[in-house]
Amino acid sequence: MIENYKSRFVIALLAVLVLLHGCAINRATSNIDPTTDLSSLKIFHVRKNIADTRGTNAIIEDKLAERGFRVSEAETGVDAIITYVDKWFWDITFYMLELTITVRDPKTDFPLASGNSYHTSLSRKSPEGMVDEVLTNIFFSEQKQGAENAK
Amino acid sequence: MQNSHIHTVFVCAAVLWLAGCATPATRQALVVDDTSFSAKNPYSVSVSASGGGETGAMDYTNISNENLAGAIKESIVKTGLFTSVVKSDDADYKLSVSLISMSKPMFGLDFKIDMEMAWSLVNTRTGEAVMRESIKSSHTATPSDAFVAATRVRLAVEGAAQSNIRQGLQKIAELSLN
Repeated sequence: MIENYKSRFVIALLAVLVLLHGCAINRATSNIDPTTDLSSLKIFHVRKNIADTRGTNAIIEDKLAERGFRVSEAETGVDAIITYVDKWFWDITFYMLELTITVRDPKTDFPLASGNSYHTSLSRKSPEGMVDEVLTNIFFSEQKQGAENAK
Repeated sequence: MQNSHIHTVFVCAAVLWLAGCATPATRQALVVDDTSFSAKNPYSVSVSASGGGETGAMDYTNISNENLAGAIKESIVKTGLFTSVVKSDDADYKLSVSLISMSKPMFGLDFKIDMEMAWSLVNTRTGEAVMRESIKSSHTATPSDAFVAATRVRLAVEGAAQSNIRQGLQKIAELSLN
C-alpha cells in the first residue's frame, strides 16, 4: 500500500517537472536604431493589428498617454507609427505570452526601435504589465540587446 | 509493476524533453556565398547586429547577435561588397542590422517563418545614414527537409535569415557610395 503511494508520488512529481519545465522563462529586450533619436518623437499613432481581438492597441494608446505622449487617431501628421504583435497562450486561463512593439518611421515604415517581452505561464504578466514593460524598455531604459534572464 | 510504471514515465519525460529541444540557427547556414555583386565598394565597413537572442532548450529557435553579425561579415567578404570588414569605429561605413520580428509557428508539417530586419548603413565620416531599409523575408521548411520538427523550425529560421541577408546586401550593392 505504502509502495503504491510512493510510486504515485514519484509519477506525479515527474509529471509536474515535465509540465513546468520551461514555464518560467522571462525575456525582455529592446533595440534602438543607432541613427534614431527617440527623444524627438512626441506624437504617435497605434496601428491596430488586424489579428488583435483583445484590444491591445487601446492598452498601448493608454500607456503612451500615461507617459505624456500624444496619441493620434490618424496616421498622418505623427512622429512615428506604433505596430505590435501580441501572442496569447492558454494555461488554465488565456494570458499574453509575448508582445513585440515596433516604433516606425511614418514615411518609410522603417523600424526605428522595437521591444519584446516574453513571459511564460508561471511568470505571466497582465496585458497592461506587458505593454508597460515593453514601452519602458524602448523609451526609458538603456538599450538592451538580446538581454534575457531565462529561469 | 511499479518499476515499469516509473520506467514509462521516464521514457515519456525524455520524449517530451527531446521533442521540445530547440537548436539555435547556425552562423554558417546564414552566410550568402552564392552571389557576387558587380558593386565592389573601395571602403571598409564595421558590422553590428542586435535583436537576436540565445536559444534555450525548451525555447524557440533563435539567432544570436554574434552569429547574425558573423554571417553578415562573412557574406560581405565572400561577395566582395566592401574592401574589408573591420571591428573598430575606424571603418568608413557602419552597418547595423536589427532583427525586429520573427513569426513562431508552433504546429504543422510545413513551418513558414516570416522575418523582418532593419538595415541601416552610416557613413562614419559624415554621419549620414545612406541606407535605412526594412527588409522582410520568409522561408518554408517541409518534412522533406527534415523529419524532426525542431530541425525543420531551425532550417526555416536559417532560410529566412539568409534570404534577408541576401536582400540587404543587394540593397547596399545598389547604392552609390562615396
